[in-house]
Amino acid sequence: MAFRPRAFRGPLATLFAAALAGCSSDSPTAAKPFTGPSLSVIGHGQTTVRYTAELWTRGTIAYTTTWSQRPPTGVGNAVYIWNIANNTPVMVDSLIVENATTLGDIQVSDDGALLVVATERANGSIVIYDLTNPTKPARLTRYQTDNTSNGVHTAEVARVDGKLYAFLSIDPPTARLVIVDLSDPRNPLEVMVRTMGNPFVHDVFVRDGLLFTALWDDGLTIWDVGGGGKGGTLANPVQIGNVRTAPWSPSVGGSEAHNVWWFHDAAGGANAKRFAFVGEEAPGSNGSVLNSSNGDIHVLDVSDMSAPREVAFYHVDGAGTHNFSVDEERGILYAAYYNAGVRALDVRGDLSSCSADQKAADGRCDLRKMGRELAAGLANAQTFIWGVHFDGSFVYASDMLSGLWKLTAASRTAQ
Amino acid sequence: MESRDSTRASFGLRAQAIALATRMNPGPADRSYTEGYLAQPLIMAHGGVLDGHLAGVVTLDFEGLTLGRGQLNTGTYGEGYADRRHPHTYLHEAIAVASGAFGRLGVSLAGGKGFVPFGTDDPMTRPFAAYPVNHHLAQILERYVAIAAASAGPLTLEGAVFNGDEPASPGAPPDASRFGDSWAVRATVTPHSLLEVEGSFASVTSPELVGGGGRDQRKWSVGARLAQPLGRLSSALVEWARTDELVGDAKANQFTSFLAEGSTAVARATVSARFENTTRPEEERLLDPFRYSRSPTDLAIIGITRWQIGTIAVATPLRARRVDIAPFVEVSYAHPTEELTPSAFVPQDFYGSTSIWSASVGLRLGIGSMAHRMGRYGAGMPNVPGAAVAGGQHVH
Repeated sequence: MAFRPRAFRGPLATLFAAALAGCSSDSPTAAKPFTGPSLSVIGHGQTTVRYTAELWTRGTIAYTTTWSQRPPTGVGNAVYIWNIANNTPVMVDSLIVENATTLGDIQVSDDGALLVVATERANGSIVIYDLTNPTKPARLTRYQTDNTSNGVHTAEVARVDGKLYAFLSIDPPTARLVIVDLSDPRNPLEVMVRTMGNPFVHDVFVRDGLLFTALWDDGLTIWDVGGGGKGGTLANPVQIGNVRTAPWSPSVGGSEAHNVWWFHDAAGGANAKRFAFVGEEAPGSNGSVLNSSNGDIHVLDVSDMSAPREVAFYHVDGAGTHNFSVDEERGILYAAYYNAGVRALDVRGDLSSCSADQKAADGRCDLRKMGRELAAGLANAQTFIWGVHFDGSFVYASDMLSGLWKLTAASRTAQ
Repeated sequence: MESRDSTRASFGLRAQAIALATRMNPGPADRSYTEGYLAQPLIMAHGGVLDGHLAGVVTLDFEGLTLGRGQLNTGTYGEGYADRRHPHTYLHEAIAVASGAFGRLGVSLAGGKGFVPFGTDDPMTRPFAAYPVNHHLAQILERYVAIAAASAGPLTLEGAVFNGDEPASPGAPPDASRFGDSWAVRATVTPHSLLEVEGSFASVTSPELVGGGGRDQRKWSVGARLAQPLGRLSSALVEWARTDELVGDAKANQFTSFLAEGSTAVARATVSARFENTTRPEEERLLDPFRYSRSPTDLAIIGITRWQIGTIAVATPLRARRVDIAPFVEVSYAHPTEELTPSAFVPQDFYGSTSIWSASVGLRLGIGSMAHRMGRYGAGMPNVPGAAVAGGQHVH
């Protein structure tokens, strides 16, 4: 039983003080201005009818999803298709997912053949499109079952043992992970359902037969799904390890583990597969989307998968992180940072080693103090960046308020 | 103790309902809506044995059958409904009470499913068919609850533990495994027979996410009500409420409410007026614009709306033997504005206007009598006579 005397401390005093104060609400907070090197804006594909959500790019085409309902008429049921060959992204087409109010995740399969779109809230599902013509996705099927109908919050597409799967994180009340075999994309086949997360499983990352799950207040759990040597399979994942990352503020209590990326540094060396990055998504000062955000990037040492541990973090005052994209060739992590734009971090080398004055009080290394903050884009603009995608040359950022931005990539010598 | 325990009186039984038609203009999606319902169809019973030392209260609510889609109700929200009031659970109240006295000190223990000792009297017992926006700020109900109460002279104290989860549907019971994850205390002072003042606090764990892990709430309420008619004023209530939503111990949102209402007799009619100024959380609406997901996006809301609403109701209570009938007309004007900018929910755009009118006509119907005061059990009942019947309804 959570009998919490602390919560009762001074309630009467608070009550009367607040009564006198009237019915005001908090003011939105702004991120601390950024003064370092910039990810310069190359172009801006503007759309303001709907709120923009996640993005994916392949070749000269980008796809963005839409979210919730934007006054006066924008419904989050559209996928926008952009030509990004030139400086300014140009919207060339769109498609509407019927009976949907929010499209969250979107991803192109690694072979470029399929586009997978998640639908959230009522009628939760994934919609699978054929990309024979990348500018004219052709719908193959909509996969919706009793296990997905409450809402697919994220859908990650990954290959395990050469076969393509989708990993669906399903909304509460019974939050669960659903794994679907996409070998026959017209007839997806459910291979696993497991309840997990506190209060939900939010996102996953799959690589080398390992499944990393971001379980919100339960932190990060690593599962063997065929590559971990524990006998796990996609049908029966076996847990290898778990870590609860430190919240951005001690008062938060839980990890708020939102997304994860297991980094494979192309430069190789002892640290090549040592670190995973976990994004923490926390409500902002007034708890309302589009106004404020909180949450850090957490660096985990996963050299012992059975005992991952947090060794470093990155914090931005007055803002929180969202989705990542990593340039593994150059060792640069790009993070969407909502009201603080896009942040580029140098993640090459030993992130666990720092001097005493580069450490926080709890002993974790502070990437900012280590000088690993390379650059930022849109940091001082009126934007709210949901997603970021590095395509090998440029950085694309989806802005909930205004559409798709094309930015220069960071330089490792930019510091 | 003799006059404190309203549940100790001999057996009582009552059935009641409100038949009404409501028009809202504009409503969600800038449309007008006109609908009819049988609202608040209730059967209530109470009784006691051992000279009232053991007593029980049961209230059945059939709104799950009569207004499953919810009742048009500008600004109100909760349990997945917005701008429609959600149906309550079939087993609205089932409480057993054991009470006794030690000299001037009255004590009781109550347990079952029912009201948490927090906030003011339920809108169902008040003169309006439309609920105020602040229902989920100012009352906590339909929980498994255990209440200890004591009263002496003008002071009544109540403390309770309960389950934090709000009902998932009319037929869904509370999650028994969560019993005790939330608690509340309420102090009520009756400085004299006319006035009753309450102050209360509640710590509620994850009310929206039934499985737990959602935002927690810290709730405060102060209310003053007229305990019996005063001059031309037959009833009156003034209340202030605040709810902080927390992620861990960090405050994520704050919602507040001020409400004042009163009733007076004019000729053979009861005229009631209410004003409230309440902030409401906005969550992502579903395909049905009156419904929202109870799984807020990553525990974040999409906006806060301030609702300023004035309501006037006129009822003409009639009585024939044990049946009471009260035809009524009720008109509301609402002015919603967004509190945060930018906001993903803009009332002007969602409703097409920031001036929203709604009107209802109907009949309140009842048969039988009850002395029980809804939401107060055993020694938690302040030492004042029952409230005046409003709009033809009994005090329940």
